[in-house]
Amino acid sequence: MNVIECNRLTKAYGGAKALNNLSFKLEENKIIGLIGRNGAGKTTLLKIIAGFMKETSGEIQVLAEKPFNNLTVSANVIFIHDQMNLPTALNLKEILQAAARFYENWDDELANRLFDYFSFNSSQHYQGLSKGMKSTFHMILGLSARCSLTLFDEPTTGMDAAVRKDFYRALLKDYIAHPRTIIISSHHLNEIEDLLEDILLIKDGKEYLHLPVADLKEWAIGLQGKTAVVDEWTQNQEVIFTKSIGIDQSYVVVRNHFSEADWQTARTAGVVLTPVTSSDLCVYLTSKTTGGIDDVFN
Amino acid sequence: MILNLDGTKPIYLQISEWLEREILNGNFESDQKIYSQYQLAEIFNINPATAAKGLNILADENILYKKRGLGMFVASTAKEMILDKRKNQTLKRLVTEIVLEAERLKVSKQELIEMIKAADIGEVEQ
Repeated sequence: MNVIECNRLTKAYGGAKALNNLSFKLEENKIIGLIGRNGAGKTTLLKIIAGFMKETSGEIQVLAEKPFNNLTVSANVIFIHDQMNLPTALNLKEILQAAARFYENWDDELANRLFDYFSFNSSQHYQGLSKGMKSTFHMILGLSARCSLTLFDEPTTGMDAAVRKDFYRALLKDYIAHPRTIIISSHHLNEIEDLLEDILLIKDGKEYLHLPVADLKEWAIGLQGKTAVVDEWTQNQEVIFTKSIGIDQSYVVVRNHFSEADWQTARTAGVVLTPVTSSDLCVYLTSKTTGGIDDVFN
Repeated sequence: MILNLDGTKPIYLQISEWLEREILNGNFESDQKIYSQYQLAEIFNINPATAAKGLNILADENILYKKRGLGMFVASTAKEMILDKRKNQTLKRLVTEIVLEAERLKVSKQELIEMIKAADIGEVEQ
């Protein structure tokens, strides 16, 4: 079953289109990484999925319903982000108790265990928390709600490295015990990629790539060697990134259409073939221009 | 953590290689049940689908076999198959790379063979 289906989804803020004819389908019970540069439209997309905002045009179905102003969607989707509007009159424990009433599958035990593990105390108030502690508290809400669709928008903002690690492990363990659809948007693809099953890469409000994360590593390949030789190997190929190194060396990333035999021939010709890490690839794919920061200084 | 997470080798391949080592080390005997995708996910902190992909590689190579509803088990000839595969694929590739490097460095075949012999008895020159 598809948890989310969008068809030509568009959201315009004034003249600028944050989402531009975005179409994709997400299957249920997967952990999906939503990847894109700042301003690519990730948060806008998550807000529309959660029903916080209405699309300008196109169609979207979440749990087979239109999400905006929809009770089924509100009850079964939790959207965790860094601007959550939590009641200031309640202390942290009371917020958890209130949240428990909203979500049918809420796990009180998990919530309390995480609450103690991360050394929160009941008398604390949300607005008194540091940025990292706020994110940690959001995470407790997001995991304990056990919604069939859980949306995490940049969940690790401000968390220190140890808490981030704990968060990823907690997320995975809870997912294994209670499979559900989880979408995580993050800038730190290298940190979350092992947790993911699929990746949805958006660029300028459009779907750019949607594939299993395992395939991403083989999707592209880096060739390094003498410029002339590398050029010969990369002509008529889909070039993703190029960089010249030293006097006569180039590094070129292309779509990986090579066979094992091609690889051997390339190696013999003195071309060094290297896999491209997922996070580098995502940077190359989502860059706005073909050059890089170096061009600013040229 | 024993996984190399720097992103150069797909995780599912690292999982299947790790399982092969476990079988070679004798930690799993013939017809013994091997880890489930969920156990592997838990051990290595990876997505269960990725772990399943690692298991399926070995199942496709008949190193593991599936019992419906029970999980995956080690084939009786698993050890031989793994050794054979490593010899014919991994070792051959490494040898090709050594020969190529030797050619680049203008090391003669004879010299290379001498080096291999020396390495064999642990007398590699520093």
